Amino acid sequence: MADLTSQAFAAVEAPLAPSRRLGRWRAAMPRGGLFAALLLAAAVLYILVPMLAVLLYSVATRWTANILPDGYTLAHWADGFADARFRTVLGRSLGLAVATAVLDILLVAPACYWQRVRNPRIRPILELLAAIPFAVPIAVIAFGLLQVSGQIVPALQGTPWLLLPAHMAVAFSFVYWSIDASMAAAGVVGLTEAARTCGAGLGATIFRVIVPNVGPGLASGAILAFGVSFNEIALVQILAGDRFETVPLYTLNLLKSTDADFNVLAVMTAVSFAITLLLSAGVVFLNRSVVDKRRAKA
Amino acid sequence: MPRSSLRARLVGLLADWSLALPLIAVAGVMLVTPMLAMIVASVTTDDGTFTLDNWTKTYRALSAQRAVLNTLGLAATVATIALVVGAPLSWVVSRLTRLNRAMHIGILNVATNFSGIGLGFAYVATLGAFGMVTLLMRRVGLEASPPPQASFWGLVMAYEYSNVPLFVLLSLPAMSLLRDEWWEAAQTAAATRLQFWRHIGWPILRPFLLADWLLIFTWSAGMYGVPVALEGDRPAAFRLVTVEMYRSLFGSLFGERRMPVFAVSLMALAILSLLAYRGITRSGNRWLT
Amino acid sequence: MSTIAIQNVSKRFGDKLALDGVSLDVKSGEMIALLGSSGCGKTTLLRAIAGLTPPNDGRILFDDRDVTHLPTRRRPIGMVFQGYSLFPNMTVRQNIAFPLKVRGQDARAIGRRVDELLALIGLAAHADHHPNQLSGGQQQRTALARALAPDPAVLLLDEPLSALDAVVRLHLRDEIRRIQQAIRTTALLVTHDQSEALAVADRVVVMRAGRIEQVAAPNVLYDKPTSGFSAGFIGQRNALDLPVLDGRVRLCGTSVPAPAVDTARALVFLRPEDVHRMDAGAGRRARVEARIFEGRTTRFYLKVEDEEGALDLKADWPSRDVEGLATGDTVHVGIDPRDVHVFPAATRATP
Repeated sequence: MADLTSQAFAAVEAPLAPSRRLGRWRAAMPRGGLFAALLLAAAVLYILVPMLAVLLYSVATRWTANILPDGYTLAHWADGFADARFRTVLGRSLGLAVATAVLDILLVAPACYWQRVRNPRIRPILELLAAIPFAVPIAVIAFGLLQVSGQIVPALQGTPWLLLPAHMAVAFSFVYWSIDASMAAAGVVGLTEAARTCGAGLGATIFRVIVPNVGPGLASGAILAFGVSFNEIALVQILAGDRFETVPLYTLNLLKSTDADFNVLAVMTAVSFAITLLLSAGVVFLNRSVVDKRRAKA
Repeated sequence: MPRSSLRARLVGLLADWSLALPLIAVAGVMLVTPMLAMIVASVTTDDGTFTLDNWTKTYRALSAQRAVLNTLGLAATVATIALVVGAPLSWVVSRLTRLNRAMHIGILNVATNFSGIGLGFAYVATLGAFGMVTLLMRRVGLEASPPPQASFWGLVMAYEYSNVPLFVLLSLPAMSLLRDEWWEAAQTAAATRLQFWRHIGWPILRPFLLADWLLIFTWSAGMYGVPVALEGDRPAAFRLVTVEMYRSLFGSLFGERRMPVFAVSLMALAILSLLAYRGITRSGNRWLT
Repeated sequence: MSTIAIQNVSKRFGDKLALDGVSLDVKSGEMIALLGSSGCGKTTLLRAIAGLTPPNDGRILFDDRDVTHLPTRRRPIGMVFQGYSLFPNMTVRQNIAFPLKVRGQDARAIGRRVDELLALIGLAAHADHHPNQLSGGQQQRTALARALAPDPAVLLLDEPLSALDAVVRLHLRDEIRRIQQAIRTTALLVTHDQSEALAVADRVVVMRAGRIEQVAAPNVLYDKPTSGFSAGFIGQRNALDLPVLDGRVRLCGTSVPAPAVDTARALVFLRPEDVHRMDAGAGRRARVEARIFEGRTTRFYLKVEDEEGALDLKADWPSRDVEGLATGDTVHVGIDPRDVHVFPAATRATP
């Protein structure tokens, strides 16, 4: 009981000094006082400033000497979306990312479920495979795939059909951890047993009992997979090159070229940043109760 | 009788693995085969005979040695700064109230995902020759200009953008391990904040923070998108292993066997790192049941 | 050992008033139990005395020294927490030594003191174990030793026994009392368990909704509750709702004066052990509805035929006297009017 009390009240603890004027202000400060607040503010600023710069760049008319642009315009955004290359690139990235996310869910969720409910020996293998994209740099995997595919299926090089399974493989770790945690929290073993005693078959169990209970985990995993695929450069550049230009590759190409329209590039970067922002918000939203549970137990 | 029971066993085995097989197949093929291919490629010649020449030739070149040292040095610096800045930040975030915390975690999430090419561009827009912050600094009177993007410190700054938030997110669970009650108990035992951190906080967190340092170190050593964007076409710039790999494919370097050698070197580093990570976290958990 | 003076202390959390002008004087060397259910403010008061949750209003004095806003680490206290709060990276020995180490005492003196305390709590054999190698009872004893190490003027215990299982709880309860009496530290113990409070304390402070209901020695509290709430909280009494006629209440053939009652009905308390078994012909007839064996006593749920109608009463009788008495049997019961406590209706809050 004391635990819960101190937890609940720690957030609104009053200051030690009797000064009442500063009291309310101090109560809103994070633990650690002024130093902590400054650190937090500095971090947030550090993260947001480059994004702000990009956003301003995308709506600026001229911008050379002053801190802020000379004038604002939406012309660049219009130009960007009018450009066929721009649209194709964006469409490709979105399509690839969605495909990666959906297929990863379809592949990972059954494996996770089966590991928990039927065969625990699957786990070490999945964990090992999931660790690979983290331990081994993706660039290494990319070059390796180039080598192997060149010898076995050279026709696929440069097409999205090689890229898609590659993205699925490097993104699956996030999907796996998200779904695994979600299934653990939901207690799928207990749910399955209960469903069986009610007479449900495998299909009914999965679609009517398991999926509704691990929904947030599935969605969160899908979002993470989407994010990985959308932002991925090494595999795209090395396996597909300019034959399948995605957003990151487009960005790189424009950065390297001498006569590119940087304003349009800013638009593309701003779009990709906005998408990343939405994805992150989605993940945090879906996982908000997880963070709380951990604090409550502590 | 034996035949049918063998078949029954095989069918049973297949059923035991069934739902996991597609995933294992895809991930296995796409992840494991390239690793094996790289290892093989690094120790064979063009006609398939075993040789260690690739390794000796590659590492005899000064540029390769430079690249490895630079990569390790850069990764270590990045990881250390990430630890020094990220750990206090992580602690502050872990103690925020629910809504506040969720918001800050969201912002950090965005930053970690923004570690690709887009960051390269944003970097130019912010700290480049005509970048926003550069202009601001000149306005305010600070003549010092930010480090050029292809230099050591320029790279460190670019790497830190996503690695500090990544460190924070990685070490958040460890911060939850530190119970507020211990601080209260320490206070009732007359300890100052410094004494608490020195005797209790740091000893408990240390293994986890070091493990996270190791993760950032390995991750930085293997980063590809950002360094290629910032210095891909400047051979004389700060050499890095991943950029060398890029050049060996798209540039004009002699001997295509350099790339597998570098690749396997990175893999070796990663595996060593993973083993160390496992060891450290296991020892970190020993007091915490 | 300090006296503690709590003067008009209030504490607010947001719009919730956790402590409402609480005042209390604790004598030197006294063991006080703060008793109440969750949310009554007992833990908040303890933490205010510890300095972990300073009050918004009022003063707290140790021996006439105002400590109200003094940081925790400068107060001469030792504290035992509900969850033990032992430092997991230190051994038992190191945990106990910590308050002394932090105060800069020299290693040899620390060593002697720690050995002394290890002997006191009986954990010398586990001195070099880590908390995760100890049982709950052992951890709590270590926490107690750590709190006592710097010879504190005030010992604070926040529900120290709640996390332990029943057998260990009783044993440790007696240990704590024994040690406190030997050392004569002023001590405050927070609990929601009334039997625990009655067992260990010199005086019990019953709290409700941020205020003090009653302060009394355990036997006084048990025999003479001064409010409906205290009466209902302490002991497992019969609580009856009876009409008041001419300032008196009738129960089981006796008439009890109800001087303080100005309402039409009264809340009447009677302890189960004060329901007496009578011979046939005397007292009231009652039917045994249920019997529950509790070791030394057996509890009987009786339906008594009283003047106003049927009355449900609990009676506790020594088991060896009631072996033949079964459900469905008839008994005769009577009471002594001096054992009946009468309060105005609607003062009883559900404890």
